[in-house]
Parts: sequence; C-alpha cells; structure tokens
Amino acid sequence: MAIKTILTIEDDRFIGEMYIRSLKKAGYEVDWMVDGNDGLIAARNKSYDLILLDVMLPERRGTEILEALRGGGEDLIPNTKVIVLTNFEQDDASKLAMQKHADAYLIKAEITPKKLLAVVEELSKS
Amino acid sequence: MAVTKPTPKIRDFWPNFFKRTLVIVILMQLGIAILIGGLLVITDTFVLTEMWLWIVTVAVFGLGTIVSIATLAIAGHPAKDLLAAVIHISGEPTNLTPPNPNEKKYAHNGFKDALQAIYELSSGNRTMPVVEQTSDSAPAVDNSSLLASALDNTTCGFVGLDSKHAIIFANKAAPININSDGVKSLKLMFNGSDTLDTWLEACEQNSVHAERIWTRIADRLPSEEGRRLFDVIASYQKGAATETVLTLVDRTEIYTVDEEDLDFIAFAAHELRGPITVIRGYLDVLEDELSGVLQDDQHELFRRLTVSANRLSGYINNILNTSRYDRRHLNVHLAEDSLSSIYDTISDDMQLRASSQSRLLSVQIPADLPTIAADRTSLGEVIGNLIDNAIKYSNEGGAINVTAEAKGEFVELSIEDHGIGMPGSVMSNLFQKFYRSHRSRETVAGTGIGLYISKGIIESHGGRIGVRSEEGKGSTFTVSIPIYATVADKLKAGNNSNEGLIEQGVGWIKNHSMYRS
Repeated sequence: MAIKTILTIEDDRFIGEMYIRSLKKAGYEVDWMVDGNDGLIAARNKSYDLILLDVMLPERRGTEILEALRGGGEDLIPNTKVIVLTNFEQDDASKLAMQKHADAYLIKAEITPKKLLAVVEELSKS
Repeated sequence: MAVTKPTPKIRDFWPNFFKRTLVIVILMQLGIAILIGGLLVITDTFVLTEMWLWIVTVAVFGLGTIVSIATLAIAGHPAKDLLAAVIHISGEPTNLTPPNPNEKKYAHNGFKDALQAIYELSSGNRTMPVVEQTSDSAPAVDNSSLLASALDNTTCGFVGLDSKHAIIFANKAAPININSDGVKSLKLMFNGSDTLDTWLEACEQNSVHAERIWTRIADRLPSEEGRRLFDVIASYQKGAATETVLTLVDRTEIYTVDEEDLDFIAFAAHELRGPITVIRGYLDVLEDELSGVLQDDQHELFRRLTVSANRLSGYINNILNTSRYDRRHLNVHLAEDSLSSIYDTISDDMQLRASSQSRLLSVQIPADLPTIAADRTSLGEVIGNLIDNAIKYSNEGGAINVTAEAKGEFVELSIEDHGIGMPGSVMSNLFQKFYRSHRSRETVAGTGIGLYISKGIIESHGGRIGVRSEEGKGSTFTVSIPIYATVADKLKAGNNSNEGLIEQGVGWIKNHSMYRS
C-alpha cells in the first residue's frame, strides 16, 4: 500500500517540526496534532495511510488512542499503518500491547528523520 | 621434618570400623572351621585325605562367614545411621544423604525419636529433656490456639510446611492460595530458578538444618491491587514435624519507594531523550543538506557531534536497563535472529565511533552462522558497549577485530583490542556494578555500568560473557549466545507468542522464562 497521507500526533514542538520537515520534503502530505484528544478525533475523521503516534501526550495517552482505534472487536482504521514513536520506556505490558496493534515501535532518540523515512518506505512496500 | 598426622574425621570411623570387624569375623570363622575339621579328624569321622572332610570344613567357613557378615550389617545399621546424622550436624563435608526420620521403617521401629533427638540437639532446640504431654496433664488453656490467635494479629506471615512441602500452618498475614480442593499453596513469586522449592530440594539432599533469606519477593503481579512485597526467611529442620518454617516480613512500604524510583528514572530518561532526539535528528539532516559546502574538517566536527549524541543515547539505555535489571524488571524477548543482521543495525554507528576516534574496526561476522535466540535491541546494546570499551582502552590507530564462530551449542562473538589490557587481579571484578580499575579511573572516563549490564543481558539470554587479557597487549571479550535450534523447543513450549510475552512481561522475571526451571 503506497503511503501518501500521514497524521503525526506529537506534543514536542521541536521533534514534531523536525519529522514533518523531512516528511514533507520527501513528498508526503502531513497533518499534525499536538494533543491526544485531537489526535484521536483526526484519526477517526479522516482515513490516513499512516499515523505516527507518540505515547506521552496531553489529554490522552498514545496507549489509549491505539486501544480506542484497534483494541475493540473492530479495527477502526483498517487501511492505516501505525508507527509508535516514543522516548518513554514503557513497562513491558503496555509496550507489548502497543506492539501488537502497531506496525512498528521505535524509540525516537534511536532514530533520525532519515531512518524514519526508510521505515515509512519499507511500510509503503508491504 | 615432623610429619603431622591428619586429624581423624568422623566420616572415616565407620568404614575403618567395619573393615576391622570384617577381618576379625573372617579370622574367627576360619578358626572355627579349622577347629571343626580337626575334631572330625581326631574323632576318626574322616581321614585327612578324604574329600568330604574338606567339603565340610569349607562349607562351615563359608556359611559361617555369610551369616556373620549379614548379622553385622543388620545389627550395625542403626549405629551407621546415627553416625551419618552426627556427621551432618558436625558440619563435616560429606556426600551422604542424612537419614530421614520420617521414613516408614524408622517410625515403625521407634528409631525416629533417636534421630530427631540428634537433629534437634544440633539446632539447640532440645536443651533439656522434653516431657511428653499426656491428655491428663494438658493445661486448661489451649496454648496452641492462644499462639495461633496471637500470630494472626501480627503483620508478619508465618507458614509451616511438612516434609512434603504441604502447608500445615499459616497465619492470617501469610499470602496463601486455596484451590477448589481446599489445598493451600504459597502465593509468592520467586525470581528465576531461585525458588523455595529448589532450595528445599537441595536441603533434603544435603542438610539437616539450614536457613535462607530471600528479599523483595512479591505475592502478585506489579499491576494487581493490594500487591505486597516480603522478605522471606526460611528455616529448615530435617525430621521436625514442621520441617520448614517461613517467616515473611512485609516490606511493601520500603520497596514501593524503589518502584517509584524506577518510575523516576523512566521519566528522567524520557526528558533526556527528547533533546537528544532533536540533536541527533538535525545533525543527520544538516550534514546531508550542507554536504556540498562543508569542508573536510567541518565534516569531522559533525561526525564528532553525531558520535557524542549517539553515545549519550546509548548511555541512557544502559541506565534504564541497569535500573530495570536491579529491580528484576529487565526482560529479554528472544526470537530467531542472525548475529550478522543484528550487527547490521548498529554497524554504521560503530564504524563512525571507531573512525572518529581513529581506531580501525574490522568486523567479520559470517552471514551463514547458525541463527541464535536473541533480543535484537538488547544484544545490539551489548555489542555496542563492548566495542565502546575496546575503543576506550586502546590507543589511536589501534585495531579492533570483531569475529564470530559457531562453538558447540553457541555462537561465540569475540571483540579483540590491542590496547592497554589489564592484570588478572582486575578481571575478576570487571563485571561488577560501578567497578573501575584503579588505573582506568585516572585515565579513562566512564561509570562502570556498561559491562555490568552487558553481563546481565547476556545471562538473560542463557549465554555467557568472558574476557581474556594481557597487560600491555590488549583484551578479548567473548559473548556466547545459544543457537536457536538448540532452544527452539523450549522457547515454543514457553509460549513465546505475543500473549505469552505479555503475561511474562508483568511477571517479575529477571531472566527469560525459558531459563527458569
């Protein structure tokens, strides 16, 4: 599935702008939400090809957002890929629960925008 | 030169005594046989050349000897058992299993009390003769129910186990499960294979009296309500009616503070990683975008910035892992993987680190090595730590060789440097937390958790980490990881599915569940 539209849910301005700058340069259409509530609403209102999801978010955590979108009986975003991007070292249970529902789980400090683009391209092919 | 006679050991007494007695018995039987043979000749029953004379004499000797030895063995058995018991309470090393007073034959013939008396003497329980209580002399107040109700008012748990590890007594504070058949079991989650049961099994084999303390043992999962943390003190007394007594001291309040510390470290790491993300990210972006205008030396400055930011990020991972490892929260999730592809994930970073510090890093990991059971991220961190060390403790221009080969049931990775090396006295402490050799403390920066957590991670893989070194010539660290095929069955049996991992994830395991017995 070719990825074209991306929703970034990220509360850190520097990090958000950094990713969006690189993603836009690479030709993706990117929407950016700063808090968890707005992020969840955006994800449900528009069908994105990819969601970049932070964990530590104001209003609503990334864990809850993913649970709301994919945790129930029905997958609310069947045509969307999800990459969890976090710097927070979650406890194992939450981490594994998120990994189960996401297509990738990355530590932000361990990757650069260049590597993120490579991951997105990889997902684009699968 | 005076020859000192070795002090006699109790354990030597029985074999020597038995040998001596055996010789005496045989000589006596020989005498009897000769005497009977002589009498038969004197009384003219047989003449000396007749075969029957010799047959009768040999038969008398043979039968007599067999009967005597059998009698000796039967009559000597209790003495032998008593001696075995004495050897055990004397503390002499022995491979004898101490006699168990609860064996049927001992209970039957009354020898049980004799053995128990000896064992109790050793633990100081029997300082004066015990007067048996008969029903006539029983006091009006039932002491045992008084004691039971008193124990129910303490916050410490008290549990008594019999010789079959079944619970025969537990006060209210003790964490106990009762299943539908009314069978009680202890609700304690020991770490790894170091459980009460394995300890008790060892006691049954080797000890008469033993004590053991476990700290920070939880009664339920970290996510469950009303979780308590105990220090568990176990006393084992072979043959006693309550063979094992457990005292559980509730330390929940103290240990929960530690748990909050863990949260603090996780939050602190989160805050530190934010700026690092931006620094690493923009360095990468800028170096690309400026590549046309940057001078060579400016490129080098960028590389140094990148290496520094990467090291900082690796160091945060070490802190997080150490904090989890120390609190037994570190989990590795083993999956089939190849060493070469794991190295690929850190290869660029490592080359950059080596080249920016003028070391020649050569890596030869054959792609066709057997696959291993590994946690990709953790193992990558270990290799990164070891290469970092090799860089730190070698000189500019020094070669660092990373090689790998299959060895038995393991794939062995070697990281060799030709740096300053270290004396043997240093090596034994090398993997201890915060250990820094005296010299490296003066010359090389570091905190001493890299090797400590590396060892923790490798052992959680069921692997081994080791070092060979020669002062002035360099060091070689080796890491052995189990080949996947050798553990695949165990991994699958351990239900290594995602659900299985979630279950283990909250289960306070220090090591991968596969390595728990």
